[in-house]
Amino acid sequence: MSTGQLTGDTARAVPSPSPGAAARPARRRLSLSKRRAWAFYAFTGPWVLGFLGLTAYPLLYALWLSFTNSDGLSRRTSFVGLANYKEVFSDPDTMASLGRTALFTGITVPLSIVAGLMLAVLVNQPIRSRGLFRTLLYLPAVVPPVGAALTFKLIFDRDSGAANGVLDVLNINGVPWLIDPYARWVLITLTMWGVGNIMIISLAGLQDIPKELLEAARVDGASSWQSFTRITLPLLSPVIFFQVVTGIIGALQSFAPLLIALDPTPAGVTSVPESNYFYMINVFAQYFANGRYGYASAMLWVLFAFIVVITFLVFKVSKGAVFYTVEAEPAKDKPRTMGDA
Amino acid sequence: MVFARRNAVYMLLVALLVLFLSPFGWLAITALKDASELRVMPIHWWPHHPNLDNFRQALTTFDYLGYARNSLTIAGIYAVLVTLASAWAGFGFARLTAPGKRVIFAVLLSTMMLPQVITLIPTYLMFAELHLLNTYMPWVLWGLSGAPFLIFLFRQFFSNMPKELEEAAIVDGCGTFRIFLRIFLPQSWPVIATSLILSFSWSWGDYIGPALLLDDAHTTLTVKLANGYVNAQGMPMSNLVAAGAVMYVIPVLVLFLIMQRGFVSGIATSGLK
Repeated sequence: MSTGQLTGDTARAVPSPSPGAAARPARRRLSLSKRRAWAFYAFTGPWVLGFLGLTAYPLLYALWLSFTNSDGLSRRTSFVGLANYKEVFSDPDTMASLGRTALFTGITVPLSIVAGLMLAVLVNQPIRSRGLFRTLLYLPAVVPPVGAALTFKLIFDRDSGAANGVLDVLNINGVPWLIDPYARWVLITLTMWGVGNIMIISLAGLQDIPKELLEAARVDGASSWQSFTRITLPLLSPVIFFQVVTGIIGALQSFAPLLIALDPTPAGVTSVPESNYFYMINVFAQYFANGRYGYASAMLWVLFAFIVVITFLVFKVSKGAVFYTVEAEPAKDKPRTMGDA
Repeated sequence: MVFARRNAVYMLLVALLVLFLSPFGWLAITALKDASELRVMPIHWWPHHPNLDNFRQALTTFDYLGYARNSLTIAGIYAVLVTLASAWAGFGFARLTAPGKRVIFAVLLSTMMLPQVITLIPTYLMFAELHLLNTYMPWVLWGLSGAPFLIFLFRQFFSNMPKELEEAAIVDGCGTFRIFLRIFLPQSWPVIATSLILSFSWSWGDYIGPALLLDDAHTTLTVKLANGYVNAQGMPMSNLVAAGAVMYVIPVLVLFLIMQRGFVSGIATSGLK
C-alpha cells in the first residue's frame, strides 16, 4: 500500500525543477488534507452526535440519578449523596444477587468457550458435508432470546415437558425444573444452546492458522494433541481472549431468567426462582416494582464498576498468556469472494 | 486408523446435531398437540390428533399479524438506517484523517465494551421528556447514529481496499462523498448483507427496548409473545405458545439459512476474527 503511494509521489515530483511548480502541488495537498479533515468530521459526526446524545448523556444522567431518590414521577427529587451506594453494598439481597450473577458468569463463560472451541475443532475436520454441520449447529444461536426461552420453558415444563418425559421413560421421577433448585440448570442449558456463536468465531480463528505450521509439526513427529496445545492454542489465544472479555461483560448483564419468567410486571419479577434471581432482575424489580430509579441507577453504576474491574483483571492476568502475531498491515490479498462457508 | 477416526467424528457430530436440534422438534410437536394432550401421563411423544388449529388460534388470540407488522417496521427502519450510518462512519474511520481521530476511535472501541444496560433508566426518562415514548423515533435516532460494532466491521473492510481505487477517483475529480457512494459502498455488499442481517435480528429479537418504550398498541411481537397466550386463570396455554413461537422463529431461521453464505463471508472478509 504505502510503497505504491511513495513511487507515485516521487514520479510526480521528479519532473518539476522550477520552484513555482514545486510549491503548487504542496499547497494543493494542504488544502486537500484540510478538505479531507472536514470530510472526516462529516463522516464520523453522526456517530459522535449519537454517542453524545444517546450514550454519554444518559450515562451521566444515570450517574446523577444514582445520587438522588428519584422515582421518575414526582418532581420532588432530592439529592441523597452516597446513600444509594451505601445501600447497594449493605443490602444482603443485592449482594446475593451479584454473587449469583458472578457464579453464573464463572460457570457459563469458561464452559461455553471450551465447548465452542471443541465444536469448532470438530466441524473443522475433513469430513463430508461439514458445511451442513456448521450451519445446523449454529442455528440455535440465531433464535431470538424470547423464542429460545419459550422453547426451553416448554421442554422443562413439569407436566408436559420432554425433559420429564425422558426421565419417565428411564423410570426416574420428574422434577419441577423451572423452580429451585433445578432452575439454574435450565438456565445454564439454555445458555449453552447458543454456543454456536463462539463456535463460528473460533472456527474463523482456526482457519486463519497457517497449514504449513501444522504440517511442519507433524513432520517433526508431533502428536495431534501436541500440535493443538503448542501451535493451535497459542495462535488462537487472541480470539479466546476476545471471547472471554465479551462473554464476561455479556453474562454479568444477563437478564435471561426474566425472559423465562416472561412477564416484566412486578409479579413476573418476583416469580423468578431465587437461584436465578440475578443482579439485573434485582435492578428491574427496584425499577418496575418499587419505582426506585435512583437506587436502580446506583445499582447499575456499581455493576458497571464491577465489569470494569473484572475486565481490567482479565487483561492483567492474561498478559503473557495471549500471543499476538506481529501484523503491521492487514493482509491485502485476503479473498474478497465468498469463502467456504 | 484414519478411517475409524473419521467415523468417530461423524458419529459424534450426528449425536450433537440431534441434541442441538431436538428443542426445535419439541417446539413443533407441542405446537401440534391438542390442549388435552398436554397433561397426559405418560407423555405423548407424537400428537395423537395432530392439530393445525393451534396456529389459527395463535394468530387470532391477539392481533398477531399486527404486532408482527410493528416488529417488521421497527427492525426494518433500524436495520436500513444503522447499516447506512455505520458504512458512512466506517468509511470516515478507514480512509480519512483529521486531528482527534485517535481519540474518537478509542471512544468508539470502548463503547463496544460499555454495558448497554447502564443507560436503560435514563434513556427511558429522556425519551419520555422528549415525548417520544410509544413512537418509533428512538429506533430512527439509534439507527442514524450507527452501531459501534457495525462501524468497526465496515472500517475493517474499507481499510483493506486498495488505495489506488481512491487515488484514481481523486485524479478524475471525484469528491470524498462520491468516492464513498460510487466506489466503496458498491464494493462492500458482503458487509452490507452482514450488517443488515445482524441489525435486523437484534431489533427483531430485542425485548427490553420495546417493553420499556412502547405501550401495548405499539409494541412488538417479541414482547407480545412473552405474555400474550394465557387462559382465564392466567396460566400459559402451552400449545398456543408453541404455535406462536414456531411462526416467530421459523422466518428468522429461514432468512438465516438463505443468507448464511453471505453472512459468513461478510464476517470473514472484514477481517473480524
